[in-house]
Amino acid sequence: MLAYKKILLFTAPALMLTLSCTKLEEDLGSTLTAAETTAALGSNGTGLLLNAAYSDLAGPFTSQDLVFSLQENSTDESLVPTRGGDWDDNGVWRVVHNHTWNADHGQVLNVFNGLNKINFDATNVMNFKPSKAQEAEARFLRALSLYTLLDLYGQYPFRNPGDNLLNAPVVRSGAEGVNFIISELNAILPDIPAGNANTRANADAVRTLLMKCYLNIGAFINRAAPTFDAADMAQVVTLGNAIINSAKYSYTPNYFDNFAPNNGTASKEGIFVYPNTAGVSANHAGVEARWNMTLHYNSYTPANPNAGWNGFSTIADFYSSFGAGVAPLTFTPDDTLVDKRLGGRVYPGATDKSGIKPGLLVGQQYNEAGVALKDRKGNPLAYDKTIASNMIEQGANLEVTGIRVVKYVPDYSDNGKYYGGPAGNWLMIFRYPDVVLMVAEAKIRSGSDVPGGIALVNGLRAARGAAPMATIPLVNPNNVDDPNTFLAERGRELYWEGVRRTDLIRFGVFLKPWGLKPTDDPKNLLFPIPNQALAANPNLKQNPGY
Amino acid sequence: MTAVLRLLCSALMGLLLFVSLSVQAQDKVITGKVIDSKDGSPIVGASVVPKGSTKGASTGADGSFRLNVPATVSALVITSVGFDRQEVAITGATVDVSLVQANASLNEVIVVGYGTSRKKDLTGAVASVKAKDFNSGGAITGPDMLLQNKVPGLEITNTSGQPGVATTVQIRGTSSIRSNNSPLYVVDGVPLDGSTARPNLGIGFGGSTPNSNPLLYIDPNSIASVDVLKDASSAAIYGARGANGVIVITTKKGQAGPMRVDVGAGWGVNTGYMKRFEVLDAGQYRDALKKYKQPATLDGGQDEDALEALTQTGLSQNYSVAFSGGNEQGKFRAGFLMAKTDGFLKKTALDRYLATINGQYKFLDNRLTLDFNIVGGTYGEQLTSVSNNAGSAGNIISSAVSWNPTIALQKADGTYNFPSNGSGNPLAFNEAYNDRSSVTTLLANGSLSYQLTKGLTYKFLYGVNHGVGTRKASIDGWLEGQSGISGVGVAGLADAKLFSQTITNTLNYRTQLSEKLSLDAVIGYEYFKRDYSGGGTFGSGFNTNLSQSARTEILYTAMMQNALTHTVFTYINPTSEIQSYFGRAILNWNDKFALNASLRADGSSKFGSNNRYGYFPAVGARWTISNEDFMKDSKTFNNLALRASWGITGNQEFPPGSSQEQFAFTSFNQAQQVVNGNPDLKWESAQQINFGIDFGLFGGRVFGSLDYYNKNTTDILFQTNAIQPAPSSLSFVNLADAHLINSGFELGVGAVIVQNKDVTWEVTLNGAYNKNNVTDLLDPNTGLPLLIKTGEISGQGVSGTLGQAITNDQPVNIFNLKEFKGFDKTTGNQIIGADPVIGGDPNPSWITGFSTTLRLKKFSFTLNAGGAYGFLIYNNTATSVTNIAGIAQGRNIDVAAYESEEGVGSGVAASQRFLEKGNYMKLRNFTVSYNVGSMGKFVKNFTAYVTGSNLFVLTNFTGFDPEVNIDKSNNSYPSRSIEYVPYPTPRVVTFGLNFSL
Repeated sequence: MLAYKKILLFTAPALMLTLSCTKLEEDLGSTLTAAETTAALGSNGTGLLLNAAYSDLAGPFTSQDLVFSLQENSTDESLVPTRGGDWDDNGVWRVVHNHTWNADHGQVLNVFNGLNKINFDATNVMNFKPSKAQEAEARFLRALSLYTLLDLYGQYPFRNPGDNLLNAPVVRSGAEGVNFIISELNAILPDIPAGNANTRANADAVRTLLMKCYLNIGAFINRAAPTFDAADMAQVVTLGNAIINSAKYSYTPNYFDNFAPNNGTASKEGIFVYPNTAGVSANHAGVEARWNMTLHYNSYTPANPNAGWNGFSTIADFYSSFGAGVAPLTFTPDDTLVDKRLGGRVYPGATDKSGIKPGLLVGQQYNEAGVALKDRKGNPLAYDKTIASNMIEQGANLEVTGIRVVKYVPDYSDNGKYYGGPAGNWLMIFRYPDVVLMVAEAKIRSGSDVPGGIALVNGLRAARGAAPMATIPLVNPNNVDDPNTFLAERGRELYWEGVRRTDLIRFGVFLKPWGLKPTDDPKNLLFPIPNQALAANPNLKQNPGY
Repeated sequence: MTAVLRLLCSALMGLLLFVSLSVQAQDKVITGKVIDSKDGSPIVGASVVPKGSTKGASTGADGSFRLNVPATVSALVITSVGFDRQEVAITGATVDVSLVQANASLNEVIVVGYGTSRKKDLTGAVASVKAKDFNSGGAITGPDMLLQNKVPGLEITNTSGQPGVATTVQIRGTSSIRSNNSPLYVVDGVPLDGSTARPNLGIGFGGSTPNSNPLLYIDPNSIASVDVLKDASSAAIYGARGANGVIVITTKKGQAGPMRVDVGAGWGVNTGYMKRFEVLDAGQYRDALKKYKQPATLDGGQDEDALEALTQTGLSQNYSVAFSGGNEQGKFRAGFLMAKTDGFLKKTALDRYLATINGQYKFLDNRLTLDFNIVGGTYGEQLTSVSNNAGSAGNIISSAVSWNPTIALQKADGTYNFPSNGSGNPLAFNEAYNDRSSVTTLLANGSLSYQLTKGLTYKFLYGVNHGVGTRKASIDGWLEGQSGISGVGVAGLADAKLFSQTITNTLNYRTQLSEKLSLDAVIGYEYFKRDYSGGGTFGSGFNTNLSQSARTEILYTAMMQNALTHTVFTYINPTSEIQSYFGRAILNWNDKFALNASLRADGSSKFGSNNRYGYFPAVGARWTISNEDFMKDSKTFNNLALRASWGITGNQEFPPGSSQEQFAFTSFNQAQQVVNGNPDLKWESAQQINFGIDFGLFGGRVFGSLDYYNKNTTDILFQTNAIQPAPSSLSFVNLADAHLINSGFELGVGAVIVQNKDVTWEVTLNGAYNKNNVTDLLDPNTGLPLLIKTGEISGQGVSGTLGQAITNDQPVNIFNLKEFKGFDKTTGNQIIGADPVIGGDPNPSWITGFSTTLRLKKFSFTLNAGGAYGFLIYNNTATSVTNIAGIAQGRNIDVAAYESEEGVGSGVAASQRFLEKGNYMKLRNFTVSYNVGSMGKFVKNFTAYVTGSNLFVLTNFTGFDPEVNIDKSNNSYPSRSIEYVPYPTPRVVTFGLNFSL
């Protein structure tokens, strides 16, 4: 009996010990470890990682509150007034337009993180034995991310493939920052697959990004007083000519075809684009935000009164850069007096569905049957150029103030896509006219070929139904929106495409007053490094003045 | 020596036996009745034994007994589980006894981790609530609600009036800066992981619906007691999961004795709003149109109360039956509940079909004990569109409060009015929105324990928690005014599966080391594994149910193939494992001094490879002064004890996989890294000290405890902005330097004011004060305070606004809002400061509870109330839904806005204007019951009752319910005390009856 007890006494703890000593393991379920990723996916897996880096472009470049907001709402082209019970959002929109943002601004943080996600995923491709072509594509995407970071923040963090993610990466800024991007782009140019469509990294996209680097390097080094080295300008011209002379691109006869739901095939101007497929939500960037964010609630069918968000507008100053209001506007399809880019003309597939005539929307709006629309209070839905000076609309007309901008034509191809998506419009990231205008600008800036530059501009203007200009001064420092300047031409062609802030800085007028931004501070030439990013990486240095 | 003692002992016993035998000839017959002193109800199965004898009788179903006792015996000893032992002198042929519940008794056994403890050995802060002290009433659906306001320092906040919704449960304040601050639940010895298998499914309005209560599968009627382990010396035995305190739930067990059947039935109705958020009625609205010079066309000429139209009386029903019985060798109990709870809002309900089955069987001369406990069942929820973070599209409540009260919701032909003012139609929302979930959960464990030698017991336990859930939701396309829904329709299906296993081996040793020194020790090993997976599909673009006039009964979820587009998602979470070694020893010297020491080593697969094991020690001591000689004769104190404890507990509530590099297939033809591994990741550590006094006065008529604690959380688990470039914007780290300190005191007092045969009156009161502060939350580079924004403010016009912050030297979730400087004298526009400022504490400093029971003969009156004080609530509904701007659009506005000096052009803005004092006192339930007693031959203890729940609330808060904690977290940083278009709280009246067979 006693022996039996003793056996139990000693076996019980032994039993406990045998049941113990599990090697703690965390088996991943839906996800893979790095080693498994290599093994499971093989060389094909690298392609999947590269695809992810491409799709990372969708968020930061499409959403109305990310890169678009920082690059456009901070300029004379766009702003979001608070309208009664709408669009206060703790003032985030107003501070972007009147340049009173700070390092805690949510958009400033989200853009930093979003662009660095591209940076990370592109770098990560290089950890997985990419082919030469895959590596070149990944390095292009990374260069695009770094360029945009440098443009906005004046610096960017950089990791080599395989770096420990818990260590703070090095940070590059200024000349070193631009030169690294230039060296990357030059290095990959020979390896970019010749057959790549404009939805993938392609040689012309690499050249376009290189042109942007060369054109802006002087501004990136000294934003307060940009300089333009002749050699850099020559590079812009050479690279641009390679694109122009390839004859792969041409001006699309109807300007708004470039932004239509079928622009993937209808436009001949896309150099680098983000493709969206109507009706398919996979890899869809939500491009419908581009018109929802600006259109009034009643721009749609009565069943969907909240489809339009009634927010984003442009200001009268920018509208005046079209010279609009001077010539009598008839807006007939044959009207050659008025720049077609101003819009206001019947667009098949849109006007017959909703009454919307793409472009800058001013004055009374009509539905598809030609009936004058009203706002929700029963006032005429007539967009008013004047916006309250503090950007807080409180009057009876609070729903209709501000000129609206419909650049991407709403997708009416089936019920619902125009407001809920997924719409078919491809997002234009690099467009041919930008290349032409950069070549022209370089020729004019360097003085190497001023008439050639003017001819390029007039070629574009002719395609847009605008009269030629004999002389084109770069900028009027006393009137940012002087219609007779080169800067104005860039605005007319590229408005709401995310280049305005860069342009205004390069042309030296970003700090000038314009509508609803009476004063400024030189620190605003750069956005602040977000406080949270600063806390995570001590190598980042807060920009001066913040 | 021991052999001699044993011999002596048995000799004495024999002698006694002989004596009792020898006098059996002169018996007398004693009859009597044993009742509960609290309510006079008969106590069934109480043991009545002549003093000095071992043989006695048990009371019958009506509490009566009949007993032959030797004439020499002068007293009876009456004992019953849960009551104090009582000795009564035999003065005549009838002896009636009223037993006092063991609540205040020191011999009471409390379930602590991996065993039980006598109350007199307790060194920490542990509160035990027995079934008869639970809250009652029709509003109770989850076990946690039984405890509301019953335990000082335990804060249980209803987050919504929806039946079955999750409550926020916190012990001693917010001790994490992550979303999960819940205590660990242990049910019949099995630790749970706090999750449910109810899938989350966001369709339509972009908002997420509140979570359901993870304990819904536990039948509240089958719970015997709940023990709350508050301090570290009690909770440290649960190591890395004990930092938020532990709630130990013990289900009712069978008792040795005759077969017993308990039956209960109840019927309840919703009788209206406990409190309404006041918006304008039709008359006020017309006045407002004039006041604000709005066009008369906005007056629809009718009189509609949209908030009223949304609600239903319903008829909630619950039926329960429990069978129990057995003998000393084998006992069982099986309890069943069928309940249907109709929600206050139309098309909402909670159905429960639950069972609680357990048994205990003894073999091999009672040395081997087999135990099993099965808790489980299925519950279904019908939900409506009440979401935590609805944006401009709103939800059913935002739609109702902003509905123009001069327009009828429905036309005469039954179709709905859809104004183009953005309010939406709440009744149409309700009809078009279909959302049902069903969860089946089984929590089962079986254990074998074997007594190896006297006092030494080995126990093996295996437990599983298996839950499967499905959810089907759709919104009909005929609903107008909703982007992405109107004209197309949306639907989603989702499922989830939870499976966790626990294996526990323990060795318990109880012995008397010397005459005065006893030891109670346990060592053990435990293994826990958890798996969670799920998936679902969404569809949109249906071609049926697209117009009001052509509605069909068929839900989209019944014909997903009809959708134009589909998306699919599936996931399997990383497996998590915990392996633990633990031990505890309790030494008691002469019932004067007790010492408790424990240590647990927890290894968790969640921790990074550099930090696999954490160690959690605790010690506690108790000095029972009233057992000292100098206090023995005290007339005042029958109990007085001092306690002190110290310990470290951990928290490992972060997503599994956070320490590993993970790559995921994010969509078709894409893979990317989604987590940057952190091999240094480890548990959060909370060090807590506790000092307490337990007291009992005037023979136990007044009793209570006072505790002081200080809880210091370090190595705070925290989602921080990742070091970019990084695979995700946030990643988990341990904040090395920061501290989160909760300190405060808790007082619980009870008194039996009147106690006699016909009347008893008892009162209990509790109060807890807590102060929460974050320190050393600094940027490691600049040394400046970090400011983490959270507290999402939702709605049209305030997108992306965050109203709270976690920052240095402030309470967690301090409000961070722009200053409100009044209204512009000429325009009436709000004047709002430029930048948000820190100020305004959303954490209550005081929480209190009050309950009282008055018994007058067969009537009993029980009242439970509770409140919270010293905090602010942000009224997000007033900010963005019923603001003044609405009147110009033809929407309704709230009375506060109407009565203010605000002009109609004033815009929307989040500011300190909408901070309101949250102080409240709520009458949780009031019950009147009548104990009929026996009816006929078989029915015993028949009781009928009426309970009113949430009868009223005293508060100055203008919203629906000051008891509010809608989940407004941002990036999983928690939020606190923000109200936003919640599911309103109804008054519920329940009629019911209970009896036994």
